[in-house]
Amino acid sequence: MTVRNVSRRGFLQMGAATGGGLIIGLTLPGCSFSGALPINRDAGAFIPHAFLQITPDNAITFYCPSDEMGQGIRTGLATIIGEELDVHPHNMTVTSAGSHKDYANPEFGIQLTGGSNAIRAFWGPLRQTGANTRALLLEAAALDLGVPASQLATDNGHVVTDGQRLPYGDFVSTAAGMAMPKQSALKANTAFKYIGSEFTRVDALAKSTGTAQFGIDADIPDMVFAVVARAPVAGARVSAVDSDAALAMPGVRHIVPISSGIAVVADAYWQAKKAADALVIRWEDKPLKRVNSAQVRKDLDTALERGEDLEASSQGDVDVGFDVADSIVEADYFAPFLAHAPLEPVNATLHIRGDTADLWTGVQSIQGAQGLVERITGLPRGNIRVHNMYLGGGFGRRATLTHIVEVTEIAMAVNEPVQLLWSREDDIRHGVYRPASLMRLKAGVSNDGRVIAWQAQRSGGNITTDTLTTMLPAMLPNLPNALINGLSGLAKYVFSQWTVDPSSVEGLHETYDFDNYRVSHATVDHGLPLTFWRSVGHSYTAFAVESMMDELADRAGMNPLTFRLANTRNRPRMHGVLARAKRATDEMVVAEGHHLGIAAHNSFHTDVVEIAEVSVESGDIRVHKVTCVADVGTAVNPDIVRAQLEGAVMFGLTAALYGRIDLKNGEVQQSNFHDYPILRMDQAPAVDVILVNSGGDPTGIGEPGVPPLAPAIANAVFRATGQRLRELPLTLA
Amino acid sequence: MIEFELNGTPVAFHGASDTPLLWAIRDHFRLKGSKFGCGAGLCGACTMHLDDVAVRTCVLPVASVAGKRVTTIEGLTDNHELHPLQQAWVDHNVPQCGYCQSGQIMSAAALLSTTPNPSVADINNALAGNICRCGCYPRIKEAILSVAALTVTDETRAELAYDATAEAPSS
Repeated sequence: MTVRNVSRRGFLQMGAATGGGLIIGLTLPGCSFSGALPINRDAGAFIPHAFLQITPDNAITFYCPSDEMGQGIRTGLATIIGEELDVHPHNMTVTSAGSHKDYANPEFGIQLTGGSNAIRAFWGPLRQTGANTRALLLEAAALDLGVPASQLATDNGHVVTDGQRLPYGDFVSTAAGMAMPKQSALKANTAFKYIGSEFTRVDALAKSTGTAQFGIDADIPDMVFAVVARAPVAGARVSAVDSDAALAMPGVRHIVPISSGIAVVADAYWQAKKAADALVIRWEDKPLKRVNSAQVRKDLDTALERGEDLEASSQGDVDVGFDVADSIVEADYFAPFLAHAPLEPVNATLHIRGDTADLWTGVQSIQGAQGLVERITGLPRGNIRVHNMYLGGGFGRRATLTHIVEVTEIAMAVNEPVQLLWSREDDIRHGVYRPASLMRLKAGVSNDGRVIAWQAQRSGGNITTDTLTTMLPAMLPNLPNALINGLSGLAKYVFSQWTVDPSSVEGLHETYDFDNYRVSHATVDHGLPLTFWRSVGHSYTAFAVESMMDELADRAGMNPLTFRLANTRNRPRMHGVLARAKRATDEMVVAEGHHLGIAAHNSFHTDVVEIAEVSVESGDIRVHKVTCVADVGTAVNPDIVRAQLEGAVMFGLTAALYGRIDLKNGEVQQSNFHDYPILRMDQAPAVDVILVNSGGDPTGIGEPGVPPLAPAIANAVFRATGQRLRELPLTLA
Repeated sequence: MIEFELNGTPVAFHGASDTPLLWAIRDHFRLKGSKFGCGAGLCGACTMHLDDVAVRTCVLPVASVAGKRVTTIEGLTDNHELHPLQQAWVDHNVPQCGYCQSGQIMSAAALLSTTPNPSVADINNALAGNICRCGCYPRIKEAILSVAALTVTDETRAELAYDATAEAPSS
């Protein structure tokens, strides 16, 4: 578990495996709870393993190990296990699994949803589980019916013999006494019935009728409502508080000091909110209090000027490459801090009764949430039940669990079931952020359009160290605080002085055949808490790389797609996506006054090219249409893949046109949707998705549509105006 | 005490009269389909109908609905039948995280009740107050247009039956 035993090369490999650095230090022996499965057994039901329950009346429940935050994972994973089990996802009840080691993400080793990996990581294991379970049911049916298993077939939850359809449920009592086969044969891809076909999401109806239960909808009899007043400068503790006025307000039951601020507990949310606004609090001083956005930008620049960057990776000889290049382009690109702003602000409801606790919340790691309740209450982990609700948006935000710490501290103090809800202002001012990033690129290109030298420097904060600081206490509930602080400090040292956090530089070179490249990084940490934000490092590196590639194509006098094709000859998947995008643009009829911009990016094992059709009217950037060409290998449900790309375009466009979190005296200046705008329907472009799936195992789709969007827009704006916009959000001169 | 009609039933609210309608509905009447997103009338997650007009209830004091009809997503149709928009939402696989969708559907239903055959500009105007962070906008638009097309068909059918008023579409 100690960082010192891991070689630098090991760090980089692990980071590359996850598209970020999260796995580092977290795949630890003994950190996952093992015990009874958190499943309520129905009468006579057969629970062959953690993922399924089959009752005698053939009600089939799939316990989905990943968190549903809109990406369609409940449908996707139900389809994967259902394919081999031979049950259509619409014929199962799909529900969220509780916290248990059997639900650990096979790649992370912990129960965590992120990194666009769930379909890819569970693809093999859930198919095998489904196939084994089907084989077991067939063996049980063979025994019960006195027919050789080879003469039996299955169809959508039924055993078929002699034209009879007998429900799986008929055979569960026999199956319960038999051993589960281990390596039953998997279907050939050509035999898939459900994978690759399109049907409605398993949660579409609940989410269209207001009946889907999100964390905020937990409704416990006699629960009270908590609102927390938090420090305007992140991490500052309370020095003094005057709570007399708040305590005298209607409905207020308790004022509770907690680690992050002062909690007001009242009979209703509205009462707690008004009373929290009436608190008078003095906060301790923090170094962050002297930080302004302009200073951040300057510090990032200074770090590179002073050569504080450490090499992250390299190949060939960059200096020789620059010597022989026909032309060289240099440019700086900047991306600001960003908040996630999921539409459901984070919340949690906790009921501690004696030596048991129930937690209702929607988070990207219920194992982490359970670990935090264990750490703070001291209750045995098996006595803490986590009810994972639908997530009203995740985007990385719900991997940070400070609200679980808060609700636990409050519930311990008030001894009542308590619901904690953050306001939108809390969400935007007191959150965790995508780091601000400066990227300094220098590239040499030959006249025939080959990039022969590529140097990419990045400065800014590191996500992995901040995430370790928040995840370690959750994943290792029994590790003392002093040791956690020590590990966090060590990680900060390692990632600023010794090696590079892979998530800080991911995407700076990987999309192309750069024979000679060097990527380096300078850590600049201002103390604002940082975390994963949909597509993580790629969210800013793609903007720099793809803007530069466009400049280089211009310099070489080449069509931007032809130029990229020439630099991806050894990357067949991306090359194929680019070729399809070239065909799409050749066939496009572009309206008068509209201009195309393109960008390509590989992230989370998926290749995406986006073509934006843009006009600039009265000084405004108008995006009319975005065409996404993508290769995800195999699309489990192509309509959900399309929906993820459509959504990624909107998410990326919000960031490209509007997104910025500014600091003044260390305080986040934005607070709600008036000054942190989100793209609205009247600004939403049409999206055309072209899937060129080349086969093989499925790759990520939740995030890869985001990175190419901003540079595609910026490159189109250049065609429209001649202005190269190298800072996000894009602002015309 | 503030009396109003909630989904067809007379109700009384005894809490503070400046409580936003959203919190009266969610915390007191325990109807959780309408969502909290911003508390400032900026995102539309809390949209309900007040006398058939779409309103942002996170900034609407409950006192201002005295004597009026409030409809939430739970009361959009009688007997838990699906509203044509809800069916269209399912058919078009509209929701992703789903948190905004009650508000989107309530805004769309209010639009169709006055404008059964809206233009894209009408839809953009009527739904510009509803944020979808997942970016389901293209599908929301398609779903509304598909229902609008149905409405036209129903009207035409009703006219052919010489009984337009009896067959008037509910949306």
